[in-house]
Amino acid sequence: MSFMRLLAVARKELIHILRDSRSLGIVVVMPVTLMLLFGYGVNLDLKHLPVYVFDRDGSQQSQDLLKRFQASEYFQIVRVADSYPAVTRALDDGDAKMGIVIPWDFSERISQGGQVQVQALVDGTDDNTANVAIGYAEAVVQGYSSQVQLNWLQSRGQSIQPASVSVQTRTWYNENLESSSFIIPGVLALVMSVIGAFLTSLTIAREWERGSMEQLISTPVTAMEIMLGKLAPYFILGMFDVAVCAFIAISWFHVPFRGSYWTLALSSALFMIVVLALGFLISVLAKNQFAASQIALLITFLPAFLLSGFLFSIEQMPIVLQWITRILPARYYVSVLKKIFLKGTPTAMLSADLIPLAVFAFVLTLVATRSFHKRLE
Amino acid sequence: MFGRLKQMLIKEFIQVFRDKRTRFILIIPPIVQMLVFGYAATFEIHHVATVVLDFDHSQQSRELISRFTSSPYFDVQGQLTNSRQLRDLIDSGQATVGIEIDAGFAQKLLSGQTAPLQVIVDATNSNTALIASGYISQIVLGFAQDAQKQRIGRIAPQLIEQIPSVELEPRPWYNPNLSSRWFFVPGVIGSLTLVLVITLTAFAVVREREIGTLEQIMVTPIRPFEFILGKTLPFFLIGLFDVSLIATVGTLWFQVPFRGHVSVLLAGSVLFLLCMLGVGLLISTVSSTQQQAMVTAFFFIMPAITFSGFGFPIATMPEWLQYCTYLSPLRYFLIVLRSTYLKGVGMEILWPQMAAMAGLGFSLLTVAILRFHKALD
Amino acid sequence: MPESTNSVVVENLVKRFGDFTAVDRLNLNVAKGEVFGFLGPNGAGKSTTIRMLCGLLRPTSGRAQVAGFDVSRNPESVRQNIGYMSQKFSLYNDLKVIENLRLFAGLYSVPSAKLKNRIEWALEMANLKGQENLITATLPGGWKQRLALGCAVLHQPAILFLDEPTSGVDPISRRQFWDLIHHMAAEGVTVFVTTHYMEEAEYCNRLALIFRGKMVALGTPSELKRDSMTGELLFVDCEPLGTAVETLQSAPDVMDAAVFGNALHLVVRNAAVAQPRIEQYLRDHSVTVRRMEKIRPTLEDVFVSLTTTREAAEEHKP
Repeated sequence: MSFMRLLAVARKELIHILRDSRSLGIVVVMPVTLMLLFGYGVNLDLKHLPVYVFDRDGSQQSQDLLKRFQASEYFQIVRVADSYPAVTRALDDGDAKMGIVIPWDFSERISQGGQVQVQALVDGTDDNTANVAIGYAEAVVQGYSSQVQLNWLQSRGQSIQPASVSVQTRTWYNENLESSSFIIPGVLALVMSVIGAFLTSLTIAREWERGSMEQLISTPVTAMEIMLGKLAPYFILGMFDVAVCAFIAISWFHVPFRGSYWTLALSSALFMIVVLALGFLISVLAKNQFAASQIALLITFLPAFLLSGFLFSIEQMPIVLQWITRILPARYYVSVLKKIFLKGTPTAMLSADLIPLAVFAFVLTLVATRSFHKRLE
Repeated sequence: MFGRLKQMLIKEFIQVFRDKRTRFILIIPPIVQMLVFGYAATFEIHHVATVVLDFDHSQQSRELISRFTSSPYFDVQGQLTNSRQLRDLIDSGQATVGIEIDAGFAQKLLSGQTAPLQVIVDATNSNTALIASGYISQIVLGFAQDAQKQRIGRIAPQLIEQIPSVELEPRPWYNPNLSSRWFFVPGVIGSLTLVLVITLTAFAVVREREIGTLEQIMVTPIRPFEFILGKTLPFFLIGLFDVSLIATVGTLWFQVPFRGHVSVLLAGSVLFLLCMLGVGLLISTVSSTQQQAMVTAFFFIMPAITFSGFGFPIATMPEWLQYCTYLSPLRYFLIVLRSTYLKGVGMEILWPQMAAMAGLGFSLLTVAILRFHKALD
Repeated sequence: MPESTNSVVVENLVKRFGDFTAVDRLNLNVAKGEVFGFLGPNGAGKSTTIRMLCGLLRPTSGRAQVAGFDVSRNPESVRQNIGYMSQKFSLYNDLKVIENLRLFAGLYSVPSAKLKNRIEWALEMANLKGQENLITATLPGGWKQRLALGCAVLHQPAILFLDEPTSGVDPISRRQFWDLIHHMAAEGVTVFVTTHYMEEAEYCNRLALIFRGKMVALGTPSELKRDSMTGELLFVDCEPLGTAVETLQSAPDVMDAAVFGNALHLVVRNAAVAQPRIEQYLRDHSVTVRRMEKIRPTLEDVFVSLTTTREAAEEHKP
């Protein structure tokens, strides 16, 4: 293999990238943009949920209950409705995400003893928000219920200390339950997929479409030199982007980083090789830029987004999908990222993720090299 | 004029459908993405890996544990014997939740004191952690209330019949089982259509420019307006086809109910497609190569989808970001989709969204067409 | 490396694409230092042949040797010893002139000691000195072709393959380009050129005429004009031209009649015999003859004659 020829190809590729401001933009601006996007845009925490209230009772007790809802930072009572349909219409409109309906005999039942139910109509279109909202609402109501029981017992002359269980929850690795801390490490995988596969897939297809490939392969340059020369600049740019993203994650979003920087570099390099090889392979097979880019997005970006554990938890997917994720390189990369960012797992314990990555890198590079023939047909 | 238009349409359709690859890309990837999304995209939790450490070995502690065992949300995998094990299992990721019941739990409960419960939650996925914590609270509070009832039953049995309790009756509206699928599937329809139509339109025009056939067409008597119409109409029809395809798959396969009127959905789709055509066309006027078009499209698509309310609620985004979402046509289309699917409402509620899309579509197309004219002169 | 005085040896070369035979049993030899022309209309199989000789396409059957190496078995050795200019301009448009040159210098492993000189030489030859930093896309057509030629010869190859190197280039630039080719041939480089411009064919040492994948003639330009022409050529300056050419199609003695500029070329078996008869014929059809004389055929005449003969022969095949 001639180093001179390889260098010639790599230098040409670099000039292409640097001279096309749009592609340069994607390399430089896109990682930052994606980081900011997901850091700020994705927030699964819930606050100030708009609530409509229909209080059929209008008593002191019902008011007490409603005050508790109002006091909670999770809810915001935006309107006191005067009819049931008003509440359902608000849900239809989207003006309210939850409607509390207090029955007309609320205070009566409480003073007489027995069970009374408060309805919470919850907009279920967004099931996640609904689940969380119901959880918080239950907590508010149960708190109120305990107080009611205490008062009732005391009024009967019974000062029975309420037995209760206090839950001391310690959330590990992500103490403030920051959505951004959980999501941002995985964004690196997205960035790598775009640069590694998306951009690369366009490069070979473009040379075929424009005709410059014919001239290239009429020279003594070998398939391996073409491949390495074309991919080398993207590898360097990709690793640069990893550094940029890590910097933003840690300095701007204050995502904790508890692991080793070397492991970050190693796993990123391995994943980079994987996506580069994939991009190259796609480019060779697709031969036209449109198809190449669509396929690249389909088999690298989309899995990285959906199936890698970046956003949606793998353990909660159907078993079939869980098995499918085992053949996705992104799954292993995201797993390593989360572990070294949030958990600080020592490198030795990461072999279950690093070894598959290495295997993928090796196999895909092999396949990619074999796939490219210096022939016109 | 119609003669020329017809010819352009025929040419466009031939170009799109003759290429096996393009045919493939219009049908298979959308279906695959719909299926994968439908199964993978979920914020629900069930069978969360849980481990328990019981130092109390009392009837009460066992009762509490059994409530977790019988809950569909938690999968109690084993009872451990020391704290070290608990920490290790959570560290290695084999367990997500760890519950530790200290000695003296039952005694405190029976004597009316507060019994502490230690819970450790792996918050690497903060969303799962949040929801799991919610369910844990609910289970524990339910247990505490029952324990309290039992205590009162022992101490003052005559009161137990009459003690009041207030409970929450959650009524999920539109999505009774709070299935994540019902939330995502309509959303996927919107997102996939967006990606497809924008990339197709942008590519189609830029491809001609890159290959050089654009010039050839412009020297014919065809007018710019006819050219644009000829370029966008096929993709409008293809977009409509794909919306129907994805919607059909989503509805039939995942059995997401459709409660509204098809005509309303159709109106929304048409307006949304107009917006997307405008965006695609606009992108084509600022790109001279296909690579640039892809990159620019990507830059637009990522924020458009992330900030549309597709997966993450808009309400929890920072204020300034929420204002920005008013510019995203997908935001409105998603409301239309979810409302016609799950809420079953009609135009009387959705007209603001329709108007917004109409406005945006009109502006986008106007700007795009003006730019196009300029580019041709 | 087997010794051979021939740079290019082609034996029964065949290329089929599915049902379509693009190159049909081609046989030829090109000597060292020759300027060999491959002439034929579009679709005749010229580009396909060149691509096989460069190792870019695999022959369906037959054998070819370039610079002593078998194109099927040793394509890489072939590539090391040749320079290739493809039909469609395929340098990198977004690279500067100097960057394209450096790229190909690297791809051909031009040793660094020689690099500067070779690039200087290429710039001189292509008349691009002082334009090194221009973006290739901005160059006019003729300059681009010269640049492409420059990139193909940086490594001083023994054989040059040029596929329609002057298509789309103005006549003056074309002349200059051919001067370059002869200059290189004088230094011992074998040049294998395809073209469909008949007048360019006159610049070659030897020619092969290709039609529908088959070689229909082989020889020097003069040999072809002398020996390959069936019949003799009459030049007729007359009026009205249109009527004349139509009526002459069915005239006796006339094998073929075609318009050449403002006059007619008639192919007849014997010019001396046919001339007075045709003059009479034309006068009978109200055509005024200003001048008629026997002329030497051009290569185009030869080519048309050969191909029409061949077409007629093929039509009568069972």
